[in-house]
Amino acid sequence: MATYSDCLKGEGTFMFNVVSKKTPRLDAEAKVKGLEKFASDIALPGMLYAVVLRSPYPHAEILRIDTSEAEAMGAVCLTPDDVPDVLYNERGVSIPAKTYRDRRVLPRKARHYGEAIAAVAAESEELAWKALKALKVEYKVLPPVLDPIKAIEPESAQLYERVFFGEEEIAIKNNIACEREITVGDADKAIASSDFVVEEEYELPRVYHFQLETKSAVCNPEPDGSLTIWCTTQSIHNVRILIGSIFGIPLSKVNVKKIPVGGSFGSSIQMNSIIPICAALALKAHRPVKLVSSREEDMYDHCKYPSRIRLRVGVNKDMSIQGVEAEVLVDIGAHQIQAYPLLGSMAGWLVSLYKWKNIKYRSRAIYTNKVPACAMQGYGNPQMNFAVESHVDLICEKCGFDPIEFRLKNHVGIGDEFWGQGPTVRSIIKSCGLEESLKTGSELINWKERGHPINKTGRYRRGIGLARGFHTSSAGAPGPAEVIDYSGATVKVNEDGSVDVLTAVMDLGGGTWDAIAKIVAEVLGLPLEKVSLSPVDTRTTVYDVCTHASRGVFAGGGAAYKAAQEVKRKILEVSSVFLQEHPENLELVFDPKRNDAVIRPKGVPFKSMTLGEVARNAMVTGLGSIAATVSFRQKTCPPSFVTNFVEVEVDTFTGIVKLLRAVCIADCGTPINPDGVKGQLIGSLARYGGYALCEETEYSEQGRLKCEGFITDNKIFTTEEMPFLNNIVVHFTNTYEPTGPLGAKGIGEAAGNSVASAIANAVYNAIGIRFTRLPITPEKVLEALRGKEA
Amino acid sequence: MKNLEMVTIIVNDRPVTAPVEAHESLLDFLRNKAGAVEVKCGCNQGDCGTCTVLFQGKAAKSCLILALQAQGKEVRTIKGFSGDSLMEQLQESFVRNGAIQCGFCTPGMLISSYAFLQATPQPAREEIRNAISGNLCRCTGYKKIIDAVEEVALKRTGKQQDKQTTPSSFSEGQEEAKGNYLLLGGG
Repeated sequence: MATYSDCLKGEGTFMFNVVSKKTPRLDAEAKVKGLEKFASDIALPGMLYAVVLRSPYPHAEILRIDTSEAEAMGAVCLTPDDVPDVLYNERGVSIPAKTYRDRRVLPRKARHYGEAIAAVAAESEELAWKALKALKVEYKVLPPVLDPIKAIEPESAQLYERVFFGEEEIAIKNNIACEREITVGDADKAIASSDFVVEEEYELPRVYHFQLETKSAVCNPEPDGSLTIWCTTQSIHNVRILIGSIFGIPLSKVNVKKIPVGGSFGSSIQMNSIIPICAALALKAHRPVKLVSSREEDMYDHCKYPSRIRLRVGVNKDMSIQGVEAEVLVDIGAHQIQAYPLLGSMAGWLVSLYKWKNIKYRSRAIYTNKVPACAMQGYGNPQMNFAVESHVDLICEKCGFDPIEFRLKNHVGIGDEFWGQGPTVRSIIKSCGLEESLKTGSELINWKERGHPINKTGRYRRGIGLARGFHTSSAGAPGPAEVIDYSGATVKVNEDGSVDVLTAVMDLGGGTWDAIAKIVAEVLGLPLEKVSLSPVDTRTTVYDVCTHASRGVFAGGGAAYKAAQEVKRKILEVSSVFLQEHPENLELVFDPKRNDAVIRPKGVPFKSMTLGEVARNAMVTGLGSIAATVSFRQKTCPPSFVTNFVEVEVDTFTGIVKLLRAVCIADCGTPINPDGVKGQLIGSLARYGGYALCEETEYSEQGRLKCEGFITDNKIFTTEEMPFLNNIVVHFTNTYEPTGPLGAKGIGEAAGNSVASAIANAVYNAIGIRFTRLPITPEKVLEALRGKEA
Repeated sequence: MKNLEMVTIIVNDRPVTAPVEAHESLLDFLRNKAGAVEVKCGCNQGDCGTCTVLFQGKAAKSCLILALQAQGKEVRTIKGFSGDSLMEQLQESFVRNGAIQCGFCTPGMLISSYAFLQATPQPAREEIRNAISGNLCRCTGYKKIIDAVEEVALKRTGKQQDKQTTPSSFSEGQEEAKGNYLLLGGG
């Protein structure tokens, strides 16, 4: 197996000029100078401002909405009667036959506090708010269902009677949105005959994405009957298709602009609920309309899947696992955004962590009258990872195994099958840096000196913990699957040898656009400054499914790589005319002296032309533009392996857990943007540090968020909670993914999946208490310490 | 409309006059009346710091100031620093250190850092960390932002040498030496 450094030392094939070098972000200057424009910064002449009326009850039928007073003020009003009677699913990532549809642009029944039930647009925001207050709504208040365990009891209120699965209308019973079971071998029998059986239940909280930009949209009806949309999204093409389908507009007449996104973390894989509301208002008003969510409204729009996971594992004395039984219950809130593929994916994360041999997996997604849950960096993986990596430490503690030896013996690695997005997205692992990660990480953190909790005393107790995880790169697979996954790109050479790249792939802040530009520059032998990503929209690009599933670089970059290869072939073909050589005798290389791409006969460096000279000659002689457009599907879903080692300090007087040191080790194949990969890993430390220690959106008995929309009452990590000084080490393992563009795999989600697990394991090492429920707040630590002493 | 009052606010040295409602914030005035959309709105309730501007020379969250309170006062947004060497150094350092991801927090983060370095020319790293703790960032994990601010502080006080020679068994040095980072030409 070729490693990354072999490639670097090799025959020049992988001697990178641009890729894997630290370069300033292409959008950095615009961002530091305040020139970057997000959806909420777009303003059009004659634009109306929209605001949304939200349900003051978690569960209520909307009997009547009187808009007369608001309309008398000059406002354009939108009620459930004004929107198409179409049930849709806002996330166009699964194939239609495997997609549940339970949602309307505005519902006839509110299913969570804060759900949009009407909207108004007016000349100013001020007037819009006044008109909104003039709307009169009659509700029939229904009892809310807030607890997922109680939700399945027959006497509980029902959120839905019927929904659609594909084209089939199905009945919903006991608020069970969907179920999935997966069986491999005979787990009951295997566990029963094991030397040790270890069982535990884990619980993961409902947390909020808290991307800094709240969901926003501007919609403009054009004179030709089309609709132009600027919005926060991870997929411009899926917004186009959904808006076209809901409102009956031809798909060529919906144009969604590719604009920067102010963070997302999965919260805009689906078309956010305000986008079709804004579109409906614009269509009704025949005017451009702008709709920007407040922070509180945004908190009532999306959250991470809260999950309960019960594990029962059978292990033999020789450290070999015999079987696993897993029961998963996910509280999905008021709508099913993507619970069916989620349950399949969670099974995939489980089976791809360790060689269980026998598996019995049962999972359920339950509707409750709370904010609808959706993907959030990891798509069920951080939840499953917390359960499994806590459980592995528990097994090692109970059976006297070494946690690193156990992981090395049982992990899924090269040659094994990986499930990248549920049971229908599988491929064979061809690169894996886990062994190196465990070895290097344990040296960097000083693993052998971590000690045992029994010997730790005093007010402040330190502990070291580890957890390993992974995430897929894309949902690519050899054959058709339940998940749509393909991308596209256009690459064209300008007449001075500069290159434009047209891609619909979104950059959520991680640097995906830089990676795509670098891949194209590398293939075409160009310095990075000669490659530009064009400002594009859905009219000027071929389809890309979405920037999710850590597929931006691997699949989006993969499409750009293919297009660049095609352009390279054409460059050599055109050059052959001018250089009087057969194309196969020509090479396209980077010439450091000229800082440009040159085409030359192999081994004849003095007889060369720059790419600009070739393109200009092609123009003058009428040979035409050199360009290519591809639509491309990755056939694999290789996992990036990330291992986290952390040291914590527990203050046994206050219960506060401090993160002292962190080692993040990433196997992402070739790091196209090494600085970007570092950013992903350190950023994930903050997000999943919060997941482990402080974040949770709690609900009152009335079904309202206790934090009332204030971030300070739903604290995320600030600078103060991060490890002090320079105590964060990032290390890349020496791997190369043969199926990735220039050896790359995706890092976005892998970066975070094992952080919270490592922190919980470190807390155990400090005070000897295993927390099976996150977040590990000071209150819970103190309570557990008191319980231990008693 | 009733309840409207005319105010004039000096935004980046340019007086902007517009009618405002009594409850209108300086943030709304800047974004909607002065066209200063470079001032970002992350929460509108004083929690996140994305709307930070220089108000009478001090860093302030513009969502917590009423437009009426700003009558006749000077406001500087991220677009109002051209030719200012401290801000230019900070901007360059943010770019060089990779302190930017989605960029939504960046204008506010830069202004908080600027005001802090003006008041505290020789800060310890923990002081920087404390100074920007009111500016939330969900992407970066803050480390590179603190690195970027620290680099400017050290450069301005001629202390850059100290940073590189500080012995530490657990710092950047190890990452460069042990990882592929150096090998890859990064750093």
